[in-house]
Amino acid sequence: MSDDTEFRESLRAFLKEHAPGRAPKGAAERLAFAKAWAATKYDHGFAGPAWPRDAGGMGLPFEQQVIYHEEMARYRLPAMPGTGWEMVGPTIIKYGTPEQKEKYLRATLRADIVWAQGFSEPEAGSDLPGLRTTARREGDHYVVNGQKVWNTNAEKADMLFVLVRTGTQEARQKGISYLLIDAHAPGVTVRPIRDITGGEHFCEIFFDEVRVPVSQRVGEENEGWRIARTTLGHERSAGALNQAAFYRRIVDELIALARERGAVADTGIRRRLADFDVRVRVMNAHAARTIASIVATGEPGPTSSVSRLYNSVFEQELHEFAVELLGPFGLLGRDDPDTVQRGRWTGGWLATRASTIGAGTAEIQRNTIAEQVLGLPRDPAMPPRS
Amino acid sequence: MEIGFTPEQEELRAVLRAFLDEHADRRSLIATEDRHAPELWRRMATEIGVQGLAVPEEYGGAGFGAAEMCVAFEELGRSLAGGPMLATAGLVVPALLACEGEDARAEFLPGIADGSTVATLAFVEAEGTWETGAVHTRAKRTGDGHIIDGTKYFVLDGAIADLVLVTARTDDGTALFAVSGDAAGLSRRAHEAVDLTRGMARLDFASVPARLLSSDPSVVETALDRARIALAAEQAGGAQWCLDTAVAYAKTRHQFGRPIGSFQAVKHRCADMMVAVEAARSATYLAALTAHGAPQDLAVAATSAQVCCSRAYTEVAAGAIQVHGGIGFTWEHDAHLFYKRAKTDELLFGTADWHRERLARLTGMGTAETTEGAVNV
Repeated sequence: MSDDTEFRESLRAFLKEHAPGRAPKGAAERLAFAKAWAATKYDHGFAGPAWPRDAGGMGLPFEQQVIYHEEMARYRLPAMPGTGWEMVGPTIIKYGTPEQKEKYLRATLRADIVWAQGFSEPEAGSDLPGLRTTARREGDHYVVNGQKVWNTNAEKADMLFVLVRTGTQEARQKGISYLLIDAHAPGVTVRPIRDITGGEHFCEIFFDEVRVPVSQRVGEENEGWRIARTTLGHERSAGALNQAAFYRRIVDELIALARERGAVADTGIRRRLADFDVRVRVMNAHAARTIASIVATGEPGPTSSVSRLYNSVFEQELHEFAVELLGPFGLLGRDDPDTVQRGRWTGGWLATRASTIGAGTAEIQRNTIAEQVLGLPRDPAMPPRS
Repeated sequence: MEIGFTPEQEELRAVLRAFLDEHADRRSLIATEDRHAPELWRRMATEIGVQGLAVPEEYGGAGFGAAEMCVAFEELGRSLAGGPMLATAGLVVPALLACEGEDARAEFLPGIADGSTVATLAFVEAEGTWETGAVHTRAKRTGDGHIIDGTKYFVLDGAIADLVLVTARTDDGTALFAVSGDAAGLSRRAHEAVDLTRGMARLDFASVPARLLSSDPSVVETALDRARIALAAEQAGGAQWCLDTAVAYAKTRHQFGRPIGSFQAVKHRCADMMVAVEAARSATYLAALTAHGAPQDLAVAATSAQVCCSRAYTEVAAGAIQVHGGIGFTWEHDAHLFYKRAKTDELLFGTADWHRERLARLTGMGTAETTEGAVNV
């Protein structure tokens, strides 16, 4: 039996024995449920496939990371609670002090510490290097003042990883530092923002004279920008096939709905469904190409650059279409008793507007593809990237 | 087998690209009467062996699979100088390989592989449908053979093909026949095609002697699906040329004192073109992989690739003209050759909508009457 087969078998055995069932209702219960699953994974040595072993992870080669994600995707498992652990973790692994590693890495994998990201600001969205939240040095502390926004699930977070200005405003990305801040420290206020769906998924965070020990800085002062996007190898790509599988399921469910409602008798609807079907196949092939390229050359290749844009446009168009498919039932909101499938399609239609905004707008992504992949010249009106 | 290509397959790509860059000239190809450059054709056979890539070794070919075909047709699509390659290697080789029995293969494949035979498949009639069952051409049994009567349109390289495979109706259903290009009773008239790089002809059969190859209707269906993957590869390769050319131009063309590629409006169009190109490549590579590893899913794979690539190529070819501005609208610039190729490729083996319907049918999505009766052969 090969190492890969053996590894797959061990994962299957673990999942068979320990995978939790359905998630409970209620926000607090769901958070506890997700944390319990993270702890189970960690305690059995199945957390952090890409993380090194001395950080509490599994230290898997890329091919086995792919297997890991494949096997995990066979179950409906709770996601890691909070957001950004997969961003802050690698940054601490590569640039953290021994004390920071000791204090945070294992606790993060086990979800004993839940993180939220503090990057964007009201005046610094796509132009993140223009951020204005300041950290003033006072002895062995920084004093932080300012406001962050669009912080996903920050109200659940124990810790925040935050980009702050330690240099001048003019220094832009060369005057930014990376701080780890206790979400419950005096002067930190987290306020949920009601979004387009009517739900509260984002927060804004206010810092008012928040004292942060200098030992909580990751990397050197004013070096925060460079390290903020640290990743471990190609760990993000290891799960690419699962994202395609996720969309496959959604499209299959939409096709089933269309059948149930007799909508497939309509030529136009049938053709559009077929078109989405093809696009999911393309996504799957994109993911497979990215993975094959990493295995063969160590580089993810062109598909990894276009996948996010392709997928985000796809999920918007899919949900716009799904609402039309509902006919007059598309008029109903999530809580109407007659709403179809508990409003998932109208909910998804609204929620996916964020797909082309968050974590880099579609416009910024197009700039990135154009400049960094196609090599088109920089816009002279734009400040330098680095 | 994994998606993507081995180092040997990439080597084939590099060799073929270098060869085509040096020897294939799309402008001289379109100056020929029949979109056929015999000298280039001969060299493609003898120096690279393109015609015989998928021909088994026992018949003088290389015995390669779908991946090598994919690489070759991507490069041919990029050059627009394949001439009769789509008809010969894309359609006829898989048709002969799908026929039961050795005779036809042994007779025709060696000539294809060594470059002495140009071959094509005639299957579309006046109705202009790609349904392989919609055949009015008749085959009558005569002594030890058949004679064929009818008319086929849009026959790729039909005016010059030495070997014409033709679908015709017999008393037992649709069958596939072989006819010699110079057979008595066969008259051929070259179409004036929009795509200046593809030869196309109308063939009239008046009691033309023909040889029965197969009575199995799935032979043509299989050949067409394999040709659809070859076409998808051509489309992906052509789209890549359009993107590369547009990007190169956007880097050097200056307006308002700066390269036009530094403007976001142009950047974003180029980025979207790249998204389309990569989708076309992914769909094509997936189809090639399926053709090789899961032939039972060939139809779904080929049809999906056509849905994706038809749209992608036209979008990217139109984008290339737009990025070039006025120069892209001239006869002198090659952009229009690709644009015409892109749009007409959409119509060649089934439009995107036709393929969407087919996919709905193949995947069991459609249940309405409208999808009944459209089932092939």
